[in-house]
Amino acid sequence: MANFKELADSIISGKAAEAEKLTQQLLSSGKSAGDVLNQGLIPGMDEVGRRFKNNEFYVPEVLIAARAMKAGMKILKPKLAESGVKPVAKIVVGTVKGDLHDIGKNLVAMMLEGAGFEVIDLGVDVSAEKFVQAAKENKAQAIGMSALLTTTMVNMGATIEQLAKEKMNNTIKVIIGGAPVTQSYADEIGANGYAPDAASAVALLKSVLTLNN
Amino acid sequence: MTTRERFQAIMNFKPFDRLPVLEWAEWWDQTIARWHHEGLPESITDRYDICRYFGLDIYKQDWFSEQKPECPKPAFHGAGILRTEKEYDAALKYLYPSINVDPKKWTQWAIEQARGEIVIWFTVVGFFWFPRTLFGIEDHLYAFYDLPKLMQRMNSDLTEWILKVIAEVTEFCQPDFMTFAEDMSYNHGPMLSKDLFDEFLKPYYKIVIPELKKFDIIPLLDSDGDISIPAYWFEEVGIEGILPLERQAGVDMAQLRKDHPTMKFIGHYDKMVMNKGEAAIRSEFERLLPTAAKGGYIVGCDHQTPPGVSLDDYLIFSSAFREYAEKAGRLSQNELAIH
Repeated sequence: MANFKELADSIISGKAAEAEKLTQQLLSSGKSAGDVLNQGLIPGMDEVGRRFKNNEFYVPEVLIAARAMKAGMKILKPKLAESGVKPVAKIVVGTVKGDLHDIGKNLVAMMLEGAGFEVIDLGVDVSAEKFVQAAKENKAQAIGMSALLTTTMVNMGATIEQLAKEKMNNTIKVIIGGAPVTQSYADEIGANGYAPDAASAVALLKSVLTLNN
Repeated sequence: MTTRERFQAIMNFKPFDRLPVLEWAEWWDQTIARWHHEGLPESITDRYDICRYFGLDIYKQDWFSEQKPECPKPAFHGAGILRTEKEYDAALKYLYPSINVDPKKWTQWAIEQARGEIVIWFTVVGFFWFPRTLFGIEDHLYAFYDLPKLMQRMNSDLTEWILKVIAEVTEFCQPDFMTFAEDMSYNHGPMLSKDLFDEFLKPYYKIVIPELKKFDIIPLLDSDGDISIPAYWFEEVGIEGILPLERQAGVDMAQLRKDHPTMKFIGHYDKMVMNKGEAAIRSEFERLLPTAAKGGYIVGCDHQTPPGVSLDDYLIFSSAFREYAEKAGRLSQNELAIH
């Protein structure tokens, strides 16, 4: 019979079909959707994040692991909704206006989903107004912005200004990242946090939202 | 020393009169457009005319594309043009041109090179870059696991084509160096593991590099990002050097030199200081001077001069560059004295 460790292992090894099958088997055997998520999928992605941070995993391994997690989530999502299990929190993510680079942002989105967050991915070239509008519409607790270029990272500040203009800067937290971005830049523009890599983004978001690990 | 003699002395860790004053890559369009507004004559648009205007050394580069001009373009930045082996078969008619060298241009270049006036180099895409252009950024990374046979086939086909390019160019002259465009790192190091490098890239480098070395063409890696870890992998397959060694990505030249005493390097001048005033510009040259004086390293902007750099900034930069180039040459006479 399937167990949680096997499910976590299927995520770590990036076996999407197996993750989907094991998720289904665990649910069929009477395990709750919440337990499958918290004891199977999330520990699997936690381990992927740990290995990524330690240079044991690289981008391809993270991508296939996230794909496996999504395959499990596809089965799990309706069950989670039925049983009233809520996401850890909601975050709107995107690459800032003028910037078309999305792999870093995608990795962050995958890591956050893997940690139980609901992620609303706005894609690339996202304006300040669009970030704020999407956060409002989705009742998100946070906005995550990515930039690869020194010429586009300045648009992160525009989103923070837009939040202030709409008097939402105290209710919606902002985290940022990307190749040219630094902690001092985050401080300079008034972001709530900076993550140097995708794996660190999970801990950062939990920290700025004061969620228990 | 002639331009070419100087290059060869530096690359062979021998004393040199001065460093080349070099912008190794073509300028950004936006940078040149800005300078045209600030006093660079509008008529000066050609890469090498810009070099002459600023009194820079001239290293002439040809980038041989493995794609024919009619090859379909991706729908957006980062997208691919195919997803399956069948689509690759269909795309073959757009790939691997049979004639790559412009005989008129290369005949002229060969004359200039023989007089020592220029250094000649060429670029081809590497075995990480190439499948990425076909699959697109994200699908390429999945393909290491999803389509390994197709990846191997693509790189095998690219290998054959690069060997033909080498045969073509060497009919005209012996280029001084060449680069494999890879861009396989970001600011946290390589995009892929050593295992994937060994499986998908290494076998093809092991075929192409000996062919380059037959003609004394120095093979260099062109990769943005932090290449500190992959530097070992590339050294193992015979790559002799790396550019542009981006400071912002965390590359540390002193450490790199310590870890790779015989590798050749180009670049590493932090482009982000070029508009920070003369003191900052000089300080950056001072940082690089000790390594440059020991040979094997040509200082240059660590990618391309950004559009944030004004013409005045660049004139200060190039003037300081000339001064430090001379200084490095003087220091090299002691540092690299033949024992």
